[in-house]
Amino acid sequence: MSGDAPKNWLFLLFASFLAALMISSSHQADKRVHEIAALNEKVRKLRSEFVEGRSKVQQLRLESSIKNTLVESGLKPSIDPPKKIKVKAEEK
Amino acid sequence: MPITEKNIMNRLYLVAGVLFLFSAGIMVKLFDIQMVKGSEYKALALNKTEKMFTIEPNRGNLYSADGSLLAASVPKYEIRFDAKTVSPENFEAHMPALADSLGMLFQRPSSHYLRLFRKARANGNRYKLIARNIDYLDYVRIKSFPLFELGPYKGGFIETHKVVREYPLGKMAARSIGYERVDEKGYYTRVGLDGAFGERYLRGKEGKRLKQKIAKGQWKPVGLDNIIEPEDGKDVISTLDINIQDIAHHALLGQLEKYKADHGCVVVMETRTGEIKAISNLGRTKEGKYYEKLNYAVGESHEPGSTFKLMSLIAALEDKVVDTSTVFDTERGRYRLYDRVVNDSKWGGYGKIPLSRAFAVSSNTAFAKMIHENYKTQPEKLVNRLMNMGIHKKIGLPIIGEGEPVLRFPGDKGWSGVSLAWMSHGYEISMTPLQTLAFYNAIANDGAYVQPKLIREVREGNRVLKRFGTNITNPSICSKSTVKKAQQLLKDVVLQDYGTGHGLYSESFSMAGKTGTCQKNYVGKDPDKLAYISSFVGYFPADEPKYSCIVVIHEPDKGVGYYGADVSGPVFKSMAQKIYTSSPVIDAVSPERMENEALEDSFQKYFATIQKQHQTVPNVRGMSGMDAVALLENIGLKVEVKGNGKVTKQSVDQGTDIKTVKTITLELS
Repeated sequence: MSGDAPKNWLFLLFASFLAALMISSSHQADKRVHEIAALNEKVRKLRSEFVEGRSKVQQLRLESSIKNTLVESGLKPSIDPPKKIKVKAEEK
Repeated sequence: MPITEKNIMNRLYLVAGVLFLFSAGIMVKLFDIQMVKGSEYKALALNKTEKMFTIEPNRGNLYSADGSLLAASVPKYEIRFDAKTVSPENFEAHMPALADSLGMLFQRPSSHYLRLFRKARANGNRYKLIARNIDYLDYVRIKSFPLFELGPYKGGFIETHKVVREYPLGKMAARSIGYERVDEKGYYTRVGLDGAFGERYLRGKEGKRLKQKIAKGQWKPVGLDNIIEPEDGKDVISTLDINIQDIAHHALLGQLEKYKADHGCVVVMETRTGEIKAISNLGRTKEGKYYEKLNYAVGESHEPGSTFKLMSLIAALEDKVVDTSTVFDTERGRYRLYDRVVNDSKWGGYGKIPLSRAFAVSSNTAFAKMIHENYKTQPEKLVNRLMNMGIHKKIGLPIIGEGEPVLRFPGDKGWSGVSLAWMSHGYEISMTPLQTLAFYNAIANDGAYVQPKLIREVREGNRVLKRFGTNITNPSICSKSTVKKAQQLLKDVVLQDYGTGHGLYSESFSMAGKTGTCQKNYVGKDPDKLAYISSFVGYFPADEPKYSCIVVIHEPDKGVGYYGADVSGPVFKSMAQKIYTSSPVIDAVSPERMENEALEDSFQKYFATIQKQHQTVPNVRGMSGMDAVALLENIGLKVEVKGNGKVTKQSVDQGTDIKTVKTITLELS
C-alpha cells in the first residue's frame, strides 16, 4: 500500500455516500409523486361528494319540492308571514 | 482442393475480408444511427420516458347569493370491461354476482348484464362499455363489485374519466347560469354567467410540467425548467337567490301552461342594490312543454306596450306640459290621427278623465293625445327627454347578447306624423324586459337608476378577491316631485277599484305597478296572426319598496285570455306574496314585571331548598306538586303522586336517610 491509499479510500467512501444519498432522494421524490396522486384522488372524491351532497340538499330544500312532498299531508305554505315577538331587554 | 499453405491463407483472407466488410457495414450503420438519425431517435427515446404534461386547472364554481351551487365541475366516469384478460375460473365464479350488483345499481334485470358479459367474452371484446356518465360515488361502488375489485388485469375493470360541468338546479335558470363550450377550432360559445365570467375568473390557467415515467404508471416531474403551475379558477358568487328563483320559475311555468303561451320571462331585482334575485325564461316546445330556451329577459327587445306609459308620463310631467289632474277627453275610445286610429281597450272609452285615472285604466287615447298635442311641434324635445333618462341605452350586462333598445329620433327612418302618438303607449320603440324593469326600479328607488347586476363577489376559497358594488348610473332620472307623482299613480293601478291591476289587490300586502297588453304581428292585419304580449312590471311593497319585478308573457292563447293583469299579473303577485310571507313581522314588546309577593316568596323558599345537597328527605309539605316532584326526583327518589295542587302528605317523613327510601308517595290537594 502506498502512502496515498487512505486518502483515496476516504474519497471512495464519500462518493458512495453521495450515490446513496442521490438514490434515496430520488426514491423519496417518487414516493411523493405517489402520495400526491393519492391526495389528488382524494380531493376529487371529496369534491364530487360535496357537489353531490349539496345538489341533493338544494333540490330537497326548494320550496316547490317541499310543497310537493307535503301535498299529501295537507300542509301548504302559509299566506301570512311568521310573527316574531321580540322581548326588549329589561331596563335595570 | 489440396491442403496447402497457400490454400489455407486464401481461405483466411476470404474470411477476414468478409468479416471486415461486415464490421464496415456495422460501422456505417452505427454512424447513420448516431450521427444522421441520432437526434430523431434520441427524441423518440425521451418520449417514452419523458413527456411534457399540460395540467388542466379546476374550473371555479358558480354559487348563488345564498351559497347554493349553480354550476360546478365534477368528474364523470365511464366503465368498460376487458372480457379477455379474466381467467375462466374468475369469470365463472364472479360473473353472476357482478351481474346482480350491476342490475341492482342501475335497476335492470341481472340477466341483461349476464348476457352482455357472456357475449363480450365470446367475441373476445376487450373494451365493452358497461356504463357511462357515472358519478364518483357510484364509480366507487362499481369498483368494489365482485370481479371488478380484482383490478384491471385480473378483473378486466377499465375506467376513464372526464370532467364535466354539473348544474345542480337542472333546468331552472339554465340560460342565465349558462355554460362555456369550446370547439376543436378553439372557438368559445359563451352563454349566461358561466360563459360571461369564464375567461376572467372561472377558467383558471393551464399549467405545464415535464415529467418522467416511473413505476405504477405514474409520472414524476423532472427538472426545474418548464414549470408552469396551474392556477385553479376562482369561484363566482352571483346575486341569484334560489328560493326566489324557484318561486319565479314555477309561477311563470304555471301561467304559461294555463295560457298556452309561446314564451315568457320573470325578473326579480332588489330595489336598492340592483341585484337580480331571480331570472326565469321559459319557451314552449312543439309538444307544449316549457324549458329555458333563450334568455328572453336579457336578449329580446320588443315593443313594450302600455308599460311604456310610465316613461311618457314622466317625460310630460318633467316638461310640465301636463299635471296628473289635467283632464283628457277619451272621445269614446277612438282618437283619429291622419289615417290611423288609436283605440282604447274599453269599447266606448272612459269619457273625460284626469291623467291620473287615465294611467290607472291605461287609456291609449288619453296618452296619445297628451303626447301628440304637446310635442307635435317639437318632437325632438320628447325624444331628448327620454334619452336623458337613458331609455335608448343598453344596461351593459356582462351576459352576452343584450338586446338593443330602439328609440327613433324625428327624421329617422320610420318616423312619421303618428309616431309620437304611438310611442306614447309603447309602440314604435323597443326595449328588453330588463331595460324596462331597470327604469321602473329607478322610480321605486326615488329616481336613482341602479344598474342591474348579476355578480356579487369573486372568491378564492373563503377569501374574497373582488366585490361588486352597487352602480348608480344616474342618481336622479327626474325630479323628486315627478317621482312622487309617478309612485302614487303606480300604486293606484292596483289600489283603486278602477285600476287595471286591481284584480291583484291584496289586503295584507301592497304592490305598485303597471299592466301592459301589447299587440304583436299586427303589420299584416291578419287577425289569425295577431298576438299579444302581456306584461306586468312594478315593485313591492308600494311604500319603501324592497324588490322590483317584471313579468312578460308572449302570445298567450287568445281564447284563454291576454290582458296583462290576468296573464302576467298573477306571477307578479306570487313573487310579492312570497317576499311578504318570508319576511317575519316583528313585534317588539317590553316585558311587564308582575309583582306578586306570595309567588316570589314561595319561589325563594323552593330555590333555597334545591340549592342544598340533600342526604335526607326534605319537607315538601305545602310545596306545589310540580316543584315537589322536581325536587325529589332530582335527589334521586322515585315519586308517586295522587291528586292535584299542593302537597298535604308525604309518605316518608322529613329527615329519613335517602339511601333507605325507594319510593315516596305524595298526596296533593
